[in-house]
Amino acid sequence: MIGAERGDAHEAAPFAGVLARLQPECVRLIAQYEESRSALLPILHLFQSAEGWVSPAAIAACAQMLDLPVSVVESTASFYTLFFRRPVGKYMLQPCRGLACIINGAEDAMAHFRERLGVGHLETTADGVFSYEEVECLAACDRVPCMQVNLEFVYDLTPEKIDAMLAEMRAGTYVVAPAPQTATPGGDWHVAPEAKKSPGARGVSNPDDPGGIGDRSGWDMLRRLETDPHPIVVRPTKERLIADGAALLSGETGPQ
Amino acid sequence: MMQLEKVLTAGIGEYNLRDIDVYRAHGGYAQFERALKEMQPDAILEITMKSGLRGRGGAGFPTGRKWSFLPKNGRPRYLVCNCDEAEPGTFKDHELLEQTPHQIIEGILIGSYAIGSRHAFMYIRGEFKRGYEIFMAAVEQARSAGYIGENLLGTGYSLELTVHRGAGAYICGEETALLNSLEGRRGEPRLKPPFPAIKGLYGEPTVVNNVETLGYLPHILRRGPEWFASVGTEKSPGYKIVSVSGHVRKPGNYEIPLGITMRQIIDDVAGGLREGRTFKGIQPGGGSSACLFDEHLDLGYDYESLAGAGSMLGSGAIVVFDDTTDFVKAAHSLVRFFAHESCGQCTPCREGGSWLEMTLERILHGRGVASDVDMLVSVSHQMTGINLCPLGDSIEPFLASVVKRYPEQFYAYVREPKPAVAV
Repeated sequence: MIGAERGDAHEAAPFAGVLARLQPECVRLIAQYEESRSALLPILHLFQSAEGWVSPAAIAACAQMLDLPVSVVESTASFYTLFFRRPVGKYMLQPCRGLACIINGAEDAMAHFRERLGVGHLETTADGVFSYEEVECLAACDRVPCMQVNLEFVYDLTPEKIDAMLAEMRAGTYVVAPAPQTATPGGDWHVAPEAKKSPGARGVSNPDDPGGIGDRSGWDMLRRLETDPHPIVVRPTKERLIADGAALLSGETGPQ
Repeated sequence: MMQLEKVLTAGIGEYNLRDIDVYRAHGGYAQFERALKEMQPDAILEITMKSGLRGRGGAGFPTGRKWSFLPKNGRPRYLVCNCDEAEPGTFKDHELLEQTPHQIIEGILIGSYAIGSRHAFMYIRGEFKRGYEIFMAAVEQARSAGYIGENLLGTGYSLELTVHRGAGAYICGEETALLNSLEGRRGEPRLKPPFPAIKGLYGEPTVVNNVETLGYLPHILRRGPEWFASVGTEKSPGYKIVSVSGHVRKPGNYEIPLGITMRQIIDDVAGGLREGRTFKGIQPGGGSSACLFDEHLDLGYDYESLAGAGSMLGSGAIVVFDDTTDFVKAAHSLVRFFAHESCGQCTPCREGGSWLEMTLERILHGRGVASDVDMLVSVSHQMTGINLCPLGDSIEPFLASVVKRYPEQFYAYVREPKPAVAV
């Protein structure tokens, strides 16, 4: 199952409890609609509110309840940015990068967040307290720059306001409740590493080449051609198969 | 300050309209009761037609006509209220949802009764979590008061209202994408025709109306279609909530009669520009609309005048730019938005948007060349008009208008040689 590499072991037991607790509500949600599949989004919202993210177990449970293939639920969930398909921090910090915010200082606010948190867009701090995502217009353009913290609005951001907010969150005294966490933070966890690839066919952005075209493979090949006139050795298929087979039989190296 | 009559926004900030008793004390639900007890659905349709009310979500399609397209085939019909507001600069539905939820419910009830729907849906943007909670509480109050459920007010008419939360996708504001999302699918727009009026939710005739559109219904019933039609211009009658943001002293939602000038909106309604600043541009109708400039300020704010100037009224989101504006960054923000929100079905929108975003990023980082600026205009133009839905067409208007007006701002970022621009 996609994304199941993390957390399944220590979640197996708690999820059974979550499922038992939420099942009656799921049944009620399904009954609201003429067709059961309509309850897909509400059910995923429900599981995320309980677990802090949409876990593979939740997707499987949703698929079973709606009599859909897991792949269909997975595909649908992946369309919507508010369903977190990796564990996220206790506080999901989402400053707005919409037009009205950008022309009124949002870049400074976002730079301040990145500096204070030590993480960038779509990343989570190693202690698992904060996840950070710069989001599209939040429809609060009259009180900018604005943001959401666990989907609660915060308006008129200033560096002082951000510092005070982060301090209160770390102390556990912030006005917005932290989100539940069932998965344990790990060193490499992110909101969604794959989401760093932009939608569509964009490549991975290259930190050494800000603003450049993401896919550098063409340039890399050009460089190799400059230093080595024969970077690619093309062998006839038969020759390659014989050589690879011999290597395999001799137990030295497998086929490349 | 211009004296504005408040209709939909009346009472906001003065009393707690989230409470059904307060709402009823100010005349709330009276029009639904009257409609249900004294009026035939066709009479409401006729009144709506006569009022000239046009859809307030963006397209501006006449509401009554939209309803009249429903086939009389005895099939179930659905009314869906679209509260998936996410167009950059728009924040009116957000405020209406949180401040006057009962007014929206009454609009949904009247609309549903008018089209003969027994099951209505309210689709709320996923980010509006607080608004969703407020609306749910209001729905429960309305249900207890007997406005939602079986055999309403003893008339035999039954209506169920289901509230559905989105989960972060601007495209779900497009009506067919919204219906897919409501059916538990990816929010990808459908090919039209068939239009939702013929084949919508669950394949049945469906009407999708914006929050603001439905909110005007009780007022039109109470004060008559002539009252609504007498305000505004002949083709753009009535009131409209404009969300004014950007470089004005008093950003906010204001309810204006259509047809007043953009200069009046900036200076008299939104407090004018900040001290010592000069005007550089105005985006009059949300992220998809072309930027307008000094020479357009005395145009009326109505559907026809803005379309005539090559822009549009859209959702009524007005962003004002003063001389501190970096139009390259502004354009980058909007292009990034549309690239991010493309559902990916249509190649021109998916590829065009993301390549334009990267080109603008390259320009902003000083790595662009002069021909990149021309490419912005040509690519955005080539991706227009060849997509399933209007999202792919939304990049060109603003981008092309500001490149054309302020090319020097774009060329200032690019590498040598820079073309000479007459400023």
